[in-house]
Amino acid sequence: MGTLLKIRNIMKNFGDLEVLKDISIDVQEGEVIVIIGPSGSGKSTFLRCINQLETPTSGEIWYKDRNVMDPNQTQLRDFREEVGMVFQRFNLFPMKTVLQNVMLAPVLTKKKDKVAARAKAMELLEKVGLGDKANAKPSTLSGGQQQRVAIARALAMEPVALLFDEPTSALDPELVGDVLNVMKDLAREGMTMIVVTHEMGFARDVADRVIFMADGYIVEEGKPEEIFTHPKNDRTKTFLSRVLEA
Amino acid sequence: MDLSFLGKLLPMLFTGLRVTILIAVVGILLGFLVGTLAGFALESRIKLFKGLANVYIWVIRGTPLIVQALYVYYVIPKLFGIDLSSNLSGILVISLNSGAFIAEIVRGALNGIDPGQREAGLSLGLTPAQTTWHIIVPPAFKSILPALFNQFIISVKDTALLSVIVVNEITHQAQNYASLSYKTIPTYTTLAVFYLVLISILIIVQKMVERKVMR
Ligand SMILES: Nc1ncnc2c1ncn2[C@@H]1O[C@H](COP(=O)(O)OP(=O)(O)O)[C@@H](O)[C@H]1O
Ligand SMILES: [Mg+2]
Repeated sequence: MGTLLKIRNIMKNFGDLEVLKDISIDVQEGEVIVIIGPSGSGKSTFLRCINQLETPTSGEIWYKDRNVMDPNQTQLRDFREEVGMVFQRFNLFPMKTVLQNVMLAPVLTKKKDKVAARAKAMELLEKVGLGDKANAKPSTLSGGQQQRVAIARALAMEPVALLFDEPTSALDPELVGDVLNVMKDLAREGMTMIVVTHEMGFARDVADRVIFMADGYIVEEGKPEEIFTHPKNDRTKTFLSRVLEA
Repeated sequence: MDLSFLGKLLPMLFTGLRVTILIAVVGILLGFLVGTLAGFALESRIKLFKGLANVYIWVIRGTPLIVQALYVYYVIPKLFGIDLSSNLSGILVISLNSGAFIAEIVRGALNGIDPGQREAGLSLGLTPAQTTWHIIVPPAFKSILPALFNQFIISVKDTALLSVIVVNEITHQAQNYASLSYKTIPTYTTLAVFYLVLISILIIVQKMVERKVMR
């Protein structure tokens, strides 16, 4: 096991607004990191900076021994193939079927020919429990099913790591469990994951490390037991007491 | 009422119809091409493309179609020392004119696509071009179809103005007949009804196509 991602001193400004103020973390291979924190604290921005959907104002991101912020576009695409993302609002392609959603990128990036991509996509859809929905359009699925398709779509690239931005926040409560179960399976299989979520149960069960972010800083981090039972920082305590009693 | 004049007028109008349809169809296809390029240019980060597209739209929207027709037919050939037939000039005018409006339609459609779609494509490792072509274009195209068809109907009516550059479309044919026969009232009444029927048919086709595509 080695260090997969070295993230150093990331800052991100939107105009005058300083959203990220010096974020540094290392991510080990196979590690599951859960990021918690109040809304507006910069969690999404941080994830989006990792895969360069936002360009950090300053700082460094190293993936293995490659500089992710190198302007070389080919290198960036290779990185994105290896580090996938799952979005809060799924962002499935509405005019394509579920199967086409999952197959599209592996075929376009020449990772797979059509036949192999289809077989792999079907296998992944079975894995997330949606083999029977292959030919459905995303709009006919429930939110929970759409999010599982989005996970299958990310997995189709055979990524080394996955970024999850509040994957269950847009779901009806009764649909959250199915998505979390898929994510738990992935964690158990050794997938490296950075998960922004408000699901404290998931964090407690699955996370190797919990990071509490507020105001663009990492305020506190540690093993889930430490953070949830003995938070050191007052802001962490306040935040946890608010979300845990809710 | 003596309707015998129709025996002469209607064949002339149908001859004109062929020219009208030819110019409107070729014009809207080329206009779609120009409009798509200009629409993407409007959304481009490259200032030069954006600027060119804006100037183009400004000029077209800021001048009457009839002036554009006169300019293309009488001035462009002199400026460039080329020969432009009436029909070619007509096609050029309709293309450039509809293109400017289609550019705005395309820009609106591109703006209307959830930015999350592009992000999903990029996050999967697609190139920006692949993302645009495979992810942005299909829903954008679907969403502009009704407006595109509307623009086609407008262009069909706009061809009437091309009579000033002696394009032998429907209106020009009617003018010819009226000036020879002096039957002004019946000729122009027939002309109006002829357009009304033509446009109504196009609107029915539009509704049918929309119902099929928008399912
Ligand atoms: N593209 C953007 N332009 C301007 N401000 C933004 C942008 N994205 C996020 N922000 C701002 O950055 C702050 C942090 O946002 P975000 O990263 O979404 O927080 P979180 O995910 O923790 O709720 C918020 O104040 C938000 O309004
Ligand atoms: Mg967020």
